[in-house]
Amino acid sequence: MVGKRVNVTGIAVLVFFLLLGVLISIRLTGLGSNFPNPIGGTLQRVLSPIEKLILQMGNGIRDNTKVLWDFRGVQIENEALQKKVDQLTGDNLKLKEQVLAGMRYTALDQGQFRSPSLEKFDKIGASVINRNPTTWYRTLTLNRGSNDGVAANDPVIGALGLVGKIVSVSSNTSEVLMILDGEGQVSALVRGSTGDGTFGIVQGTYKRGSRLTPEGNLQMLFRREDNVNAGDLVFTSGDGGVYPKDVPIGKVKEIQLDPSGLLKTAYIEPLVDFDSLEEAYIVKTVGGK
Amino acid sequence: MRYVLLTVMFLLSLILPGTVFHFWAWSGIKPDLLMLLTIYMAMHRRLRASVLWGLGAGLLEDLYLGRYIGMYTLTLAVVAYLSYWLAERWYRDNFLLTTFMVFIVTVAGQVVVAFLSLGAGLHWSLGDIGQLVIGVALYNAILVPVTYPLIHRSFLHGWLRYRPRYER
Repeated sequence: MVGKRVNVTGIAVLVFFLLLGVLISIRLTGLGSNFPNPIGGTLQRVLSPIEKLILQMGNGIRDNTKVLWDFRGVQIENEALQKKVDQLTGDNLKLKEQVLAGMRYTALDQGQFRSPSLEKFDKIGASVINRNPTTWYRTLTLNRGSNDGVAANDPVIGALGLVGKIVSVSSNTSEVLMILDGEGQVSALVRGSTGDGTFGIVQGTYKRGSRLTPEGNLQMLFRREDNVNAGDLVFTSGDGGVYPKDVPIGKVKEIQLDPSGLLKTAYIEPLVDFDSLEEAYIVKTVGGK
Repeated sequence: MRYVLLTVMFLLSLILPGTVFHFWAWSGIKPDLLMLLTIYMAMHRRLRASVLWGLGAGLLEDLYLGRYIGMYTLTLAVVAYLSYWLAERWYRDNFLLTTFMVFIVTVAGQVVVAFLSLGAGLHWSLGDIGQLVIGVALYNAILVPVTYPLIHRSFLHGWLRYRPRYER
C-alpha cells in the first residue's frame, strides 16, 4: 500500500501566506486603528456588567481581608507609614510644600491636584470594570464609551496623576492603555528642586520582577550632564498632542549611568497605584471642547 | 445543554483572567484560560472540530480585545492542532501527563503570541518573553489538576459528551 504523499512545497506556501495574512491583519488592526468591530462591542457591552460586579467583589474582599492574608505586609506598610509621618512632620515638609506650591501642585498630599491646562476640557468619571485578560498588555476597561462622548486618544487621569490614554472605544466601554505599557510613551518634563525643567520621554517597561513595583515601572533617558536627581517630580510636557500639560506622572526613584557613560536612565515611581486603581476620569481632549 | 455549557465556559475564560485572576496574578502573570479550554477541547474532539474551535474562539477573543485581529485566531488554531496531535499519542487519562502536555502546548502557544507581537512591531526583550511564556505556561499547568478531572469526566460521561445524531 502506498502512503499518502505530502506536498511539502504546497504546505510551506500555504503557511507562508497564512502567516503573511495574519501579520498584515495584526498591523492594520493595531493600537490606534479605528476599525468597525460590532461583535467585539457587543461582547464588551454584554460582559462589562458581569466583569464590573466580579471586580467590585474582588476589590471588596481584598480590601477587607488584606490584614489576614498579608499580615506581615500590612505590618511593614504600617511601619513604613509611621516613618513617613515622622519624616513628613519634619522641617523637610515645609521645603517640599514650597516646591510643590511653586508648581501648582500643593494639593498632591490631599489626594487631588489641579492643573490649569485641564480646566478647559470636559471630564467624565469612570470605574474600572476589567483588566486585560492577557498577560501581554497593560490595559484597563472603563465603564464609559462613545455614548458618553469618549474618543480614542483621550487621556485618563487618576486622583494622583496620569493613568494612560484611551485606545479603543465601544458604545458603553473604553479601553485604556496604561503608561506602564511599553507601547505607551509620554512626552514629559522633570522639575528639579530649583524649578528647572528637563524634557524627555517617559516609557513604560512593564517587566516582571522590576526593581520598583511588581507591576512594572517607568523610565526616562537623559544625557549624563542633565540635572536630574532622585526625588524630582515628573510631569507631562504637553508636547505630542495627546496629554495636557502639567499632569503629574511620578517621582524619580533611582538614577543609573549607562555603561557607555554618555546616558543615564531615571527610574520613575508612578504616583498612581495602578494595581488598586478603581476609579479614574477621562479628559475629553478629542471629542469634547 | 452541551452548547450552553461550552458558551458559558468560553465567556468565563474571557472574563476571569481580567477579573478574578487579577487578584491572583504573580507579578502580573495570569493564566491563559481560553488556551487551556482549547487544549481540553482538542483532547476530546476530532481534529477538524478542534481547529475550527481554535479559530472561532481565537477570533472572538481578538474581537473582544479589539485589536491585533488574527493574533489569537492563529495562535489558538495552532494550539488546537498541537494538542490534538499530542493527545493522539499520549494517554489522556493520565493527569500528570496531561499537566505536562498543557505546559508544553501553552509554551508553544505563548511563543506564537510573542512571535506575532514582534511581527506587529511590539518590543519585547528575550528575557521578558521567556519569563512571560514560562510564567503563563506554569500557571496553566497548575490549573490542570483543579480543572481537568471535572472537564474530562464531563467530556466522557457528562453534559460535554458528544452525542452522534442517531443517539439524540
